[in-house]
Amino acid sequence: MKAIQVRQPGGPEAMELVDLPVPEPKANEAVVKLAASGVNFIDVYQREGRYKVPLPFVLGQEGAGAVTAVGADVKGLKAGDRVAYASILGSYAEYAAVPADKLVPVPSGVTDQQAAGAMLQGMTAHYLSHDAFPLQRGETALVHAAAGGVGLLLVQMAHNIGARVIATVSTGEKAKLAREAGADDVILYSQSDFEAETKRFMGGKGVDVVYDSVGKTTFEKGLNILRPRGMMVLFGGSSGAVPPFDLITLSTKGSLYVTRPTLAAYTATREELMARSGAVFGMLAAGKLKLRIEHTYPLAEVQRAHRELEARKTTGKLLLIP
Amino acid sequence: MKAIRVQHTGGPEVMELTEVAAPRPKPNEAVVKVSAAGVNSIDGQFRDGSLRTPLSFIPGQEGAGVVTEVGAQAKTVKIGDRVAWSGVLGSYAEYVVSPEEHLVPVPAAVTDEHAAAAMMHGLTAHYLVNDAHKLKAGETALVHAAAGGVGLLLVQMACAIGARVIGTASSEEKAKLAREAGADEVIIFTRQDFESEVKRLTGGKGVDVVYDGVGKATFEKNLNVMRLRGMLVLYGMSSGPVPPVDPAKLSEKGSLYMARTTLAHFTATREELLARTGALFAMIADGKLKLRIAKTYPLAEAPQAHRDMEARKIAGKMLLVP
Repeated sequence: MKAIQVRQPGGPEAMELVDLPVPEPKANEAVVKLAASGVNFIDVYQREGRYKVPLPFVLGQEGAGAVTAVGADVKGLKAGDRVAYASILGSYAEYAAVPADKLVPVPSGVTDQQAAGAMLQGMTAHYLSHDAFPLQRGETALVHAAAGGVGLLLVQMAHNIGARVIATVSTGEKAKLAREAGADDVILYSQSDFEAETKRFMGGKGVDVVYDSVGKTTFEKGLNILRPRGMMVLFGGSSGAVPPFDLITLSTKGSLYVTRPTLAAYTATREELMARSGAVFGMLAAGKLKLRIEHTYPLAEVQRAHRELEARKTTGKLLLIP
Repeated sequence: MKAIRVQHTGGPEVMELTEVAAPRPKPNEAVVKVSAAGVNSIDGQFRDGSLRTPLSFIPGQEGAGVVTEVGAQAKTVKIGDRVAWSGVLGSYAEYVVSPEEHLVPVPAAVTDEHAAAAMMHGLTAHYLVNDAHKLKAGETALVHAAAGGVGLLLVQMACAIGARVIGTASSEEKAKLAREAGADEVIIFTRQDFESEVKRLTGGKGVDVVYDGVGKATFEKNLNVMRLRGMLVLYGMSSGPVPPVDPAKLSEKGSLYMARTTLAHFTATREELLARTGALFAMIADGKLKLRIAKTYPLAEAPQAHRDMEARKIAGKMLLVP
């Protein structure tokens, strides 16, 4: 089978199209013929060696396709079942062997491309808006990087809940996307100070929750725009890691809460993984959640996919089609 | 009137019994004849200068008594009303003047001493279990300093909710008090490592919430005894301030939440203050919350009260009775 392998960490050229044997399932695994694989920033970090992975390895953390073989101990899965998964390395390939308890069924109303595109970012947006801070109708959320992969989905889910969404974006084009996703107010942070703008939008009142994947450049100001007892959900650090902070700032700024969640902690049990993926697929099938899949690449063009992702020129989800 | 005055900051001896003019109310204020004033660690912090207030001043933050005079615009209180308060500096005196919005009515079934004793510690315990982390039946809470002023009330309220309570205490004598208050397990932290004990007592699962008024000495280990997505509520720092915290720790230790809370943010509106004190006084009146008034002192013995407080020998509430 064809697969994208990294033998030495490096730039996009470190990814090579190679021929490997089709994997055999271990007792607890199923082999999936991949119809689509998601391209994510974590793939770039692993390719560069910033996140360490034993070499050589096949890249890729999420995908969707059909089961072709199952291991001896696997129950409830058979060849032909449509499945998707996330957070298992090796999806930039024609086939992948995946622990069966990480595979979730894909309903008929959801395409393979949608399923592959929704696993990481869709489930992330879902746990953020439904569990890390369960948003209620009438509450106000500030969403940073609202036109990003998670951002556009988070804005839609927050809007569907009935919350007011204030979004930050870098360009007028991205502001348009955030508005289309349902943002009530959009701040171009390159042109105006998001702290002052948010205070103005809120009449000085403070938002209930800040969803922040930007980190270093936004964290402190984020604390300044929360209402008393508000919640900072820090779920990434695209601008760099937030440095250690003095807890007294949380009390002086209003008995604030901080959490730093990961998707793994919100899909920790089989039950929760099934419920969360099921909820996301349900939204997709019902047309309540729109995925922007505007960039698909054959496996052989993976280097171009990474270059475009890193240049931040793309909007929405990038997929490889093996 | 007689009052305790601090002319310069320092040890307990800087508190002098003096004769000063009784206060008069501004239009939105009331004057209260103090029946009992609570002695709190915050009083020691103002006295020794670690918290600042203009000199000279009359210490004391909480108490209960009877309204003797009201300002022209005061609407919620009248002469003869029994009231209690917290967060009003000047309570170590025969009379105190307070903005009317800080005064709450005391029901007939609650004595002045109970009302004075319950305000800061009782309101704190109440917001911790009902709002800072809304404790539910079946959850497990770790309560540090479970025989302390807040601790003994927090343990009772947590048990009444139906939660399992693991307390920590410094001595067998204090452990006994915590058990009498309802703690299911008590760890004597001077003899046992609370981290390994909590892990053992929860079968490695960790607690849902840690209520910590200790701070520096307990912080790091707290992060190791919470379940996935557990909550640390830090409401005081009796052992000293926690050094700056790297938010990445919260994700590494299991997508944890952390809050640094103060009572003021949980009694910020008149409505919330009345609701919280009402709930608290009802528990006292119904016998569901036992206050432990360890010792009462005449006003002149305020220095001795502070010495006793700082020696940490007295378990339970200390009151000055002017």
